[in-house]
Amino acid sequence: MLDERELATRPIVQESVQHNARTVSNIRALTASLFGVAAGTLGLESFPGFIFYAVGTAVVSVLIFAFKAESNPKAYFWRPLQDLWAGDMFGGLMSFVLTWTLLYNLAKA
Amino acid sequence: MAGAAEQQIHRDPALFYWILLPITVVMVLTGILRHYLSTLLQTAPKRLPLPKIREQRSLLRSANLRMNYAQISPAAFQKRREWWIESARDGKFLADPDARGKGKPNPMSDPAMMEGMMGMMKGNVAMMVPQSLIMGWINAFFSGYVIMKLPFPLTPQFKQMLQAGVGTRDLDVRWVSSLSWYFLTLFGLQPVYNFILGSNNAANQVTQQMAQSQVNPMGGAEDPEKIFNAEAENLEVVEHYYILDGVEDRLLERLQGTV
Amino acid sequence: MANPLLEAPTNSSPATAIDLSQKASTFINSQSSWLSAIPYPLSLFINTESQEKWQTYENLFLACLRTGDDNTAYACLESLTNRFGKGNDRILGLQGLYKESTAKNDSELAEVLKEYEEILKNDPTIFSIRKRRAAVLRSMGRTSDAVTALTNLLDQSPTDAEAWSELADLYLMLGSYEQAIFCLEEVVLVMPNSWNMQARTGEVLYLSSEKLEGADQLRLLSESMRRYCRSLELCDDYLRGYYGLKLTTDRLLELLSTGKKSQQSSSDPVKGDLAPPSIDAVKKLNELATSKLTEIVRRSKSGEKGWDGYSEAEIIAARELLDRGTQKIER
Repeated sequence: MLDERELATRPIVQESVQHNARTVSNIRALTASLFGVAAGTLGLESFPGFIFYAVGTAVVSVLIFAFKAESNPKAYFWRPLQDLWAGDMFGGLMSFVLTWTLLYNLAKA
Repeated sequence: MAGAAEQQIHRDPALFYWILLPITVVMVLTGILRHYLSTLLQTAPKRLPLPKIREQRSLLRSANLRMNYAQISPAAFQKRREWWIESARDGKFLADPDARGKGKPNPMSDPAMMEGMMGMMKGNVAMMVPQSLIMGWINAFFSGYVIMKLPFPLTPQFKQMLQAGVGTRDLDVRWVSSLSWYFLTLFGLQPVYNFILGSNNAANQVTQQMAQSQVNPMGGAEDPEKIFNAEAENLEVVEHYYILDGVEDRLLERLQGTV
Repeated sequence: MANPLLEAPTNSSPATAIDLSQKASTFINSQSSWLSAIPYPLSLFINTESQEKWQTYENLFLACLRTGDDNTAYACLESLTNRFGKGNDRILGLQGLYKESTAKNDSELAEVLKEYEEILKNDPTIFSIRKRRAAVLRSMGRTSDAVTALTNLLDQSPTDAEAWSELADLYLMLGSYEQAIFCLEEVVLVMPNSWNMQARTGEVLYLSSEKLEGADQLRLLSESMRRYCRSLELCDDYLRGYYGLKLTTDRLLELLSTGKKSQQSSSDPVKGDLAPPSIDAVKKLNELATSKLTEIVRRSKSGEKGWDGYSEAEIIAARELLDRGTQKIER
């Protein structure tokens, strides 16, 4: 549970949170599409494809961590574990599947 | 995994030019259309008469006081609280002091209320109509044959949905008809919209639905006097503390390491 | 560093304002690039709208008015009007602002005022015009009228932080510190996270403590110090905050070390006021503020990266304060 006093002394501003979340999700969506293109062109199927996605997003997470959050995710995210590392893992999945399927079929046909 | 008998179907490349591409283009265009439609249908918030503004903002002021009370000293807080509660009890903030005690107005009779509901309806229409139209279009033109192969396996439960109208019992679920491509584009096109329309767009109905479920259309239908009384009660039970209490120690503790 | 185009130029130094207004014409030209020249149906595919764009227009407008470049200001205003329409509240306010600043003498200003009153008679809910009216009244020297206008406005819209702080300013001009503090508390209630308003409250508290003596002075002074602490808690390396912290702790050290006896009774638990801070904490805070101020002045002088956002006047003032402190020690 949140300590109300703690929150008052160290406020979390809604707009900034939203802005950060939107930046991260934009990066995720874009990179996920690109991973889909790569996976489709390589002709990956089922598990290798999803593992490719997982590895890719993990790399993107590390890049966000290193460049966008300047190695200090506490300053940018309220709960770094959820907001940066785990939470958005699946945000780009649909985009990934879309481009993956498209390119896979284009490459195979 | 794939087994010995992996099914191969030879497809005509023209399928891409005449089915996959058109569906994708149409989906992108509908997204853009939806964005502009919802911008167009947005009605500017109606200008409220002065007493009504005063009523709303007085309420907001009390809410601010209730939330941010820690920012001011106990004496200042006490003063404000007493003043506000007294004025609220006397009905000084009410837009229409004569209407006190008449009870809850009927939401249908209030034109502002009707407008809010109309706005909701418009949003829903802008969302639902294109969606069902396109589904109908795809079902009418492109059903009855498979066009693509998914790169991942699915359970046979999806066969019904994704191979609708194909009717081959032994065909692998991975072969799907055009309708599934429609679903894929429906959920996966957000980055495309972001790129075209900027990240604040209203093109995707998934995000739209989320935004809409948060608005309560009946929010203002309560009797204002009751709201004020409830607010006064809430304000009364606030237990005050002062944020400046011990701030110098907090600051020292935090900055001790850095200097 | 934040884009200077996106920050309201009212807070910037004159040099930045001039710099901004010189950029204005290039910016306006850059807006009419090939992107917006695309014919109608295709233009729907490209989104040239953004909040930042119009924010920039408005800020350029203000900067140009400040530097006397009325023609460019008018061009900015025109594009804003074309986009948002004549009846928009904010546009009406900006148009008024333009007329005010191009008014050459008091009689022309009075005419603008009359125009405002005409608009307000038709629709008293246009708050931007009501604020402009108060501002005109103030600049014409009719301070008490401005106060009345603002108190009326605040009775109808009591959550308007801008108006509250303007009113606080007016009260400060008139010397009624208590009212000014009340208004600033109201601002802080609306925007609890604004470190500048916390520091501003500290400033007014400090000013008002100068008028008092004994226990009351100590009480206000320690509250002022705590406000500065709060503003520093919200914003690291806030120059005004450290400046105020040093000022108040200097005074507090004097007070606490001279009259120990009388101060003990000053904290009245019935009123719920905080006890005055311990002399130890004040000393530490004073040292902290001094070292931080020295650091800020040094780093900003040498133009280190990330430390160049401070206004020059404030840096000079901070240096002076520091010099004063060292002189005292030498004596």
